[in-house]
Amino acid sequence: MTASLTLGPVLFNWPVDRWRDFYARIADEAPVDTVIVGEIVCFKRAPFFAEAMGEVVERLTAAGKTVWLASPILVGSERERSAMRDLVSADAGIVEANDMGALALLAGRPHAVGPTINVYNEATLAWMAERGAVAVSLPAELPAATVAALAKAGRELGVAVEVQAWGRAPLAISARCYHARAHGLHKDGCQFVCGNDPDGLPVTTMDGQPFLTVNGTQTMSHGCLCLTAELPALVGMGVSRFRLSPQAMDMVRVAEAFRAVLDGRRDGAEVAAELGGLIDAPLVNGFYHDTAGALRVA
Amino acid sequence: MDNFELICPAGTPAALRAAVDAGADAVYLGFRDETNARNFPGLNFTRQDVADAVDYAHARKVEVYVAINTYPQAGNLGPWQKAVDDAARLKVDAVILADPGLLAYAAKRHPDLRLHLSVQASAANVEAIRLYRDAFGVRRVVLPRVLTVPEIAKLNAEVDVETEVFVFGGLCPMAEGRCSLSSYATGLSPNKQGVCSPATHVRYEQRGGALASTLGGFTINVFGEGEQAGYPTLCKGRFVAGGAPAYLFEEPTSLNAMDLLPELKAAGVHALKIEGRQRGKAYIGAVVRAYREALDSFAAGRPVPHIDLQAMVEGGTQTTGAYTRAWR
Amino acid sequence: MREPMREPAVAPTAIDDDRARRFEASLSRAGLGLVPRLGERVSDALLARLLRVLAERHPRAFEALREMQDACVLIEPVDAPVALMMRVGPELSLHARPRGAVGTGAAAADAVIRGPYARLLDLLEGRIDGDALFFRRELTISGDTALILALRNTLDGEDEMDLMADAASIAGPLARALPVLRRNAGPVLDRVEAARRLLPPPLRRGIERIGARIEARLTGTVPGTNPGAGA
Repeated sequence: MTASLTLGPVLFNWPVDRWRDFYARIADEAPVDTVIVGEIVCFKRAPFFAEAMGEVVERLTAAGKTVWLASPILVGSERERSAMRDLVSADAGIVEANDMGALALLAGRPHAVGPTINVYNEATLAWMAERGAVAVSLPAELPAATVAALAKAGRELGVAVEVQAWGRAPLAISARCYHARAHGLHKDGCQFVCGNDPDGLPVTTMDGQPFLTVNGTQTMSHGCLCLTAELPALVGMGVSRFRLSPQAMDMVRVAEAFRAVLDGRRDGAEVAAELGGLIDAPLVNGFYHDTAGALRVA
Repeated sequence: MDNFELICPAGTPAALRAAVDAGADAVYLGFRDETNARNFPGLNFTRQDVADAVDYAHARKVEVYVAINTYPQAGNLGPWQKAVDDAARLKVDAVILADPGLLAYAAKRHPDLRLHLSVQASAANVEAIRLYRDAFGVRRVVLPRVLTVPEIAKLNAEVDVETEVFVFGGLCPMAEGRCSLSSYATGLSPNKQGVCSPATHVRYEQRGGALASTLGGFTINVFGEGEQAGYPTLCKGRFVAGGAPAYLFEEPTSLNAMDLLPELKAAGVHALKIEGRQRGKAYIGAVVRAYREALDSFAAGRPVPHIDLQAMVEGGTQTTGAYTRAWR
Repeated sequence: MREPMREPAVAPTAIDDDRARRFEASLSRAGLGLVPRLGERVSDALLARLLRVLAERHPRAFEALREMQDACVLIEPVDAPVALMMRVGPELSLHARPRGAVGTGAAAADAVIRGPYARLLDLLEGRIDGDALFFRRELTISGDTALILALRNTLDGEDEMDLMADAASIAGPLARALPVLRRNAGPVLDRVEAARRLLPPPLRRGIERIGARIEARLTGTVPGTNPGAGA
């Protein structure tokens, strides 16, 4: 079985036209198998994309992509809850749960588990499989040995195990909006300042060292996860899906490069060198190598 | 009126005795390993320590909870399962768990063991809480520090499970158990190793009169001369995001919700929790005593006294955190 | 003038007079000052004996200290002439050296904790919250932060230590003198302070010498002689 590529949801607040065009190009050109769609970071952004959602899903489906909708990462307020319930009941297909509440509602029907749900071991994976999970995307911070154990368990349980192989790593979620806070604004009156930063707001240390990226209520890494060199080992472990997380860059080229490595047509290290030139961030793989996520291990 | 239960931290046997003596209703603690989210050097309890703690607390009608609230490592579930088995054998009053796999194990293997859901599970909505209750028989949920008091009230009205909320101590601005910031800077995380911004990766350096703190080589803060310092917890650091250096995520501040007792009671909260298993027994004694006094006054219908805990708080400032909407 | 630091209401079990505490701190600090004059062999023997007494009285903490990885922590009171180098791990030991002496300074230590002597004593005895002290920048730490944290947590895990009483028990005369001292510390301190203030500077130095001699006799550590540490 060959490994497949998943395009994760766009995590940044892009203008809706850009968002629509992005997916149109993915539909036409990107060699990805599954596309996960949905605004999962901030409830306030969701209405902007709602109008284009149907069109995007249709276009991707028509192009032969498998399309899954994703549920929000943090669900606390009443409005967030009802949006989550609506999503689960409206979509008959596979929904990727990003919160335990959505996971609860999806019990008994095939569904996917997103990377912001904590799956750290085979016991939890088995519990989820029993409830209907068909695919689990692992948290970014898991090291190789853990990924290997989970991939093995996944094969036995019939659950496809996925690993994020490209894009900034999601590191934290909050009820507080840091984009608004950085602009001296309150979340309720945020003026959607996150829309100014299509690749997130860079955060440096007081010494000027690049460190993190703020994306509204989400905090991400500054470094861009890149596991091209690790792909053969991951496939060997039984990882069957690789997630590419959209950045404001040529994601078609990224998908083509990953496909080429998976097909044995290109070398992972060489591809990393090429892709590194396309994004204004260092490539990192420390999590996988069981060290600081900000590091790159050769 | 039923009083709130006061749930107090202990990182050492001496701290446990301090908490019990100061008026805790229950004390929570962890074993001396990676199975709990305060796996700090020199801290926590051996099995014998827990046995002694249970004896001491039970003799004074105080309960003991054991936190086994990290996420068990794939391929190595043994230490976590053994921690649950030992907690049951040592007759603790509840275990505080976060991982679904471990909850399933505990529910099946020890049906009489009372299960609490750790804040590290970050169950922030009714649907999630019902899932833990229905699937594992969880009796109490420690709510993540992301909810406002009205949200907590709504939640309690809809789901029949005890809720416990933090009222004092260190404040995570991020949803707990869903944060890899520490891991990104150091490779060690709350979920995996039970540490956040671990001391092994912390260095302090004097820069003239200023004091710089670093974590994993990243500068987390620089304190000017005479400025209150803080431990370099990553999310309490000062960073630059397009302007002057600022506390982007959270100021070095402590949660203190003592003024919100009436609101928390009206919201149906069952138990109040003090953070700080890593703090000394002097802190624990002082904070528990203050809260005991406040809760007893409140339960008796007397005005809640203003008790100064300023000396105990990080950065010298206090906040009601996410409980009030303005925090967001 | 600065407001005095507000302390948490922690009632020391053995001492009910804050002035007694201050007197003890200054007395023990002076005692510590005498240590280098005893010569390394004698002071090391004395401190070894103190450690043995502490280990007997606080077995849990001392077992934990021995279980730590081999490392050295320099405990440096900024207002005393002497610093203590504590080696944790299987080779647990305690040495006193003049501050700044070669081979015992920060360079030889894996971690250093600095602060006013009285605060360090409070911290070691678990009377005060180390984090709060650090936040207020009364203490500074450098080097291996985890090592300092482990030491702090281990000592804090004991019910309140009474280092003065423990130390006194190895120095015969002080063991008997301590309860009396604690009872009388307030008035004594007042009298000493008053006398010092009233005297012209040359005589002030004289009274300080007398004070040092009294302290030396109390602690049983007459300079240059073996105080009978029995090691």
